[in-house]
Amino acid sequence: MYPFGKGKARLIPYLYLSIPLLLYVVFGFGPSLVTVLFSFTDATGVRGQEWSFVGFENYKTFFGASNAGDRLDAIGRSLYFAFAVVIIQNAVGLFMAILINKKLRGDKLYRAVFFLPVVLGVTVSGLIWQLVANPLGGPAQSILNFFGTSSNFFGDYNIAFELIIFVQIWMYMGYSMTIFLAGLQTIPNDLYEAGYMDGASGWKAFTNITFPMIAPSFTVNMLLSIIGALQTFDIIYVLTGGKFNTTTLAFDVYATAFGTGTADYGLASAVAMIQFLFVFTISMVALFYLRKREVEV
Amino acid sequence: MKQSRTSRTISYIIVMLMLALYVFPLFYLFNVSMKTQTEYLLNPVALTEGIRLENFAEAWTKGSFSQYMWNSVLYTGMSTLLTLILSIFAAFPLARRYVKFSTLIYIFFLISMYLPNPLIPQFSLINQLGLYNTQTGYILLKTTGTGIAFLMFVGYIKSVSRELDEAAAMDGCGYTRYLFTILVPLMKPILATGIILTAIGVWNDIIGPTIYLSDPNYQPVTKGLFTFYGQYMNNWPLLACGILIVTLPLVVLYVALQRFIVGGAMAGAVKS
Repeated sequence: MYPFGKGKARLIPYLYLSIPLLLYVVFGFGPSLVTVLFSFTDATGVRGQEWSFVGFENYKTFFGASNAGDRLDAIGRSLYFAFAVVIIQNAVGLFMAILINKKLRGDKLYRAVFFLPVVLGVTVSGLIWQLVANPLGGPAQSILNFFGTSSNFFGDYNIAFELIIFVQIWMYMGYSMTIFLAGLQTIPNDLYEAGYMDGASGWKAFTNITFPMIAPSFTVNMLLSIIGALQTFDIIYVLTGGKFNTTTLAFDVYATAFGTGTADYGLASAVAMIQFLFVFTISMVALFYLRKREVEV
Repeated sequence: MKQSRTSRTISYIIVMLMLALYVFPLFYLFNVSMKTQTEYLLNPVALTEGIRLENFAEAWTKGSFSQYMWNSVLYTGMSTLLTLILSIFAAFPLARRYVKFSTLIYIFFLISMYLPNPLIPQFSLINQLGLYNTQTGYILLKTTGTGIAFLMFVGYIKSVSRELDEAAAMDGCGYTRYLFTILVPLMKPILATGIILTAIGVWNDIIGPTIYLSDPNYQPVTKGLFTFYGQYMNNWPLLACGILIVTLPLVVLYVALQRFIVGGAMAGAVKS
């Protein structure tokens, strides 16, 4: 029941709610739907230029053009990026959360430091790693020198993408860890004591007590990192600008629409749609399995 | 339950190694920022020979950081404030089901995470509205009542007793007055978290300014730093100073408000 009066007073919540709702429809939801529409047109970024519907032409271009190799590679790379980030970031995050949860001295400091890159942001974090990986004598190069080899790091076709993945994980490991820590702290200590009596310690305690008990934070972490990783491209923008075989679908959308000399909105929207299909399918499958796991607990 | 000494020692060793991976780059950055260009070129990794604060002054002027900083403060301050107000406007009636189809509207807001990337039509729209390259347009774009703050607020308001609404209404308190004089003070901890997480997002955005603000006079500090990087790619001591200048305000804010950030990351994640 609405307690704040009747008649006109009943309308105030609607009035206030309508502002964020309108903003979301106009700048978020609406444009998302228009992306679907755009993907079937030859719209460009040139002002005043006519556009028309071209059916699946953009999708054909994506899959069949002379540069199809690059573009299809972007699909593979997006999946590789997401897979590596989701697995490693969460595994390391969970591991560190368990260690810190042992009440080590200085645990607050560790948490703060591991979370710091999120606060610094992608530009600062990216440039810091550019500095460390500077091929002209930076510390990373000094280590390689020791082994008698060298690298161009972010300018190297073979490892640039892996390095980007590393920086991405470095940036967000603390975030995953924080969420896991929240989950771990909800587990009552008696549970471990009872388990210990029954002979469950170490790995057994982890699989039988810890892992089931943190199911909700596990779901949250998995979903956030899957969706996040498939949509991330600012880190690529900062570290390589998409050069040296580091283009993903999300970056391709940006580059096709806003890159220098290109303004193919139709094609970029088609790429966005392909990206959307991956994000949607993978996160829905993950959600289905993760929720099932939560229920069984 | 007792833990063995060895297992604790191993834990400490692993945590320390990990800590080094996070602290070393920052330490190295600081070290480079204190060097002269010659010193850096001769041996980038060696410890600096002296403290050179004048490097910072040089970077500040050469990188026009005063203009960029002001823009960042303006964008972050304004859009965070507006985002918070709109998030309360949206979260309260939906958490209490004071409007019809509350659950449906809540889900409608949530699905924004899954929708196709709105970037391209959004850009066309901003162009059509004449908001491209304007400060107002950028603030408007960064203002949303449906982001992380909204999600956290919904969770939090559900934990505030509904009887409070009824008691206040009985005493003749209206909806608006209730929101701002009773609910907002109660929400202080979650508001702090909402402010920080929203502010971090706006302050650190690099793609937004790249797309929407081509005029250097309107660009925030992230874009300014990136431009600076492009110009002085070979002068790492100067660049390191630039990076540190950009880093400092956020680190100070982070140290001051750290407990809210960590608490908020948890609340935001676990309650939604």
